[in-house]
Amino acid sequence: MTAPIIQTTGLGHAYGDIVALHGVDLDVPPGRIGLVGANGAGKTTLIKILLGILDPTVGDVAVFGDDVRTKALDIRSQVGYMPEGACLPLAQSAADFVVYAAELAGIPPKAARQRGSDVLTLVGLHEERFRYLGDFSTGMKQRAKLAQAIVHDPELVFLDEPTAGLDPEGRDEMLDLIARLGGYGINVLVSSHVLVDIERTCDWVVMLDGGEVLRSQPLSGLVETGTVEVDVLGDPAVMAAALAARGADVTADGSVLAVQYTAGDPFDLILDVLTEVGAGMRSLGTRSTSLEDLFLAGTDGGGP
Amino acid sequence: MTDGGVIFDLGYKPHDGPRLGAPGAFRATVKDGIRRVLGLRRKARKKVLPFLLLGIALIPAVVVVGAAFLLADFDPESGTLFGGHSEFFGWVGTLVLIFAAFSAPELLVPDRVEGVLAVYSSRPIRARSYLLARATALAIVMTAYLLIPQLLMYVGFSVLGEDGLLSELVGRGDELLKIVGVTLAYIVAFGAPALLVAVFARRTATATGTYLAVMLVVPGIVTGLLEGRVAGARFAALLTLSQHPDAIRDWVYDTSTPTLNLVRAGWDPWVSLAAIAIVALATGFIGIRRYRSEL
Repeated sequence: MTAPIIQTTGLGHAYGDIVALHGVDLDVPPGRIGLVGANGAGKTTLIKILLGILDPTVGDVAVFGDDVRTKALDIRSQVGYMPEGACLPLAQSAADFVVYAAELAGIPPKAARQRGSDVLTLVGLHEERFRYLGDFSTGMKQRAKLAQAIVHDPELVFLDEPTAGLDPEGRDEMLDLIARLGGYGINVLVSSHVLVDIERTCDWVVMLDGGEVLRSQPLSGLVETGTVEVDVLGDPAVMAAALAARGADVTADGSVLAVQYTAGDPFDLILDVLTEVGAGMRSLGTRSTSLEDLFLAGTDGGGP
Repeated sequence: MTDGGVIFDLGYKPHDGPRLGAPGAFRATVKDGIRRVLGLRRKARKKVLPFLLLGIALIPAVVVVGAAFLLADFDPESGTLFGGHSEFFGWVGTLVLIFAAFSAPELLVPDRVEGVLAVYSSRPIRARSYLLARATALAIVMTAYLLIPQLLMYVGFSVLGEDGLLSELVGRGDELLKIVGVTLAYIVAFGAPALLVAVFARRTATATGTYLAVMLVVPGIVTGLLEGRVAGARFAALLTLSQHPDAIRDWVYDTSTPTLNLVRAGWDPWVSLAAIAIVALATGFIGIRRYRSEL
């Protein structure tokens, strides 16, 4: 694995008697990371600790290898943050605020003006850049929030519920934007309880539940089961028997056979056996499970 | 997001230039603060009050200096409506107090109420620097209000001097020191309580009203207590925060204003100096504690 961008060891945080995070151990690689969990799972607390806003009650935390406790300002120069709630000054124009956000991150004024203009174009607010943020719709505000988070070309951007309040088309556009950030060399940590959004945009997932890590692993390995499904036209029992005779592990559900085969390519095996028994098929593909299924399964599916 | 514009993928240019870090963030916060209190890059109505007050502060100075130029026997140091530097502080001080009442909340309250602090929390700036930057912005504009008319008078009177401009400027050097010192007292005495109120207020109007009540109504109440010889009235006089810089001004210019509560209560001017310093330190301490969990 490449050098992790986020590392935590035994991380914990409590608000008085309420434990928000407990024993969080993470090694998160660069890329697009999904941080999922129900409301109150500790997602926002974790982000605030990573930004150096909250101090951990216990444990260690590092971003880009730097200790957040001692180098918070250095880390903040390299990250962006799109909070879940409102964060826009309503009496300011989008252009002025985004330029200011860049200067706040240490970008010199002239470069900040250029970057502000570019990023507002990137998020689709070029035409509206001189309008006051107070006059923006929810969707436009979400775009402006994203613009301020990436205007200073951060190495890592935290997006907290970026699709909250958006209509389906707006959500679609926002997810496209997020997916494109990786191509710009910006690592993304998307916090969301909308698991479909994470599946669509991320390549690594961290699952939190009750302040503890359920999983932290690549999304592809998480949702792919290693099982191939074939919907058989013909007698599935004959097909199942032939597959089993070749060493495959087969379970049947009506005409659908779930095939696990580790000695070779399961697709080649299935096609060979279909020919052998003279059967046809309606569909053939890898069986995958949804992030939601895994999340609901909780700790049964394994730890981080 | 369908009601917005069209997304153009024109490529993305990474920033490979310098990053100014925490000092850059501080400067940006000061610059934004100055723009905000002057209403620059804001709607027109936001500009009305600051520039109206600036005009009111400048016009008398321009009139006094202009009259001194035009009238041969005009003595600018006496006999005018505003008198010399000392009296002018009393006049402009009131304007600066009103300015602080409206500006300090504008600097702090919207950032907190509109959630903008979340953006600061991802930038290289901490609560202490944020508050210091906002206070600096307020102080810079208040300094301009107090100092520009005074310097206009200072230079104008020096031009009219019999020994020539340069000699007069040098000769009046001690006057300049007095102007700067008293300006500082007014800025801290009026600015710190305004920021302290704004640190807690949920609405700018509430902060403005509370501040004006503390600065303008409390002195009247304390005057009543002093005149009624109520027990503890002497210590209550210390709460007339708006009169502390007047006491410093009288101290510096060796003048006296018998109507000041602090004078009536028999407090020495250094007590006013200490009171101003205590309020300023308390503002900083309380402000940092209030903002520490958010930045």
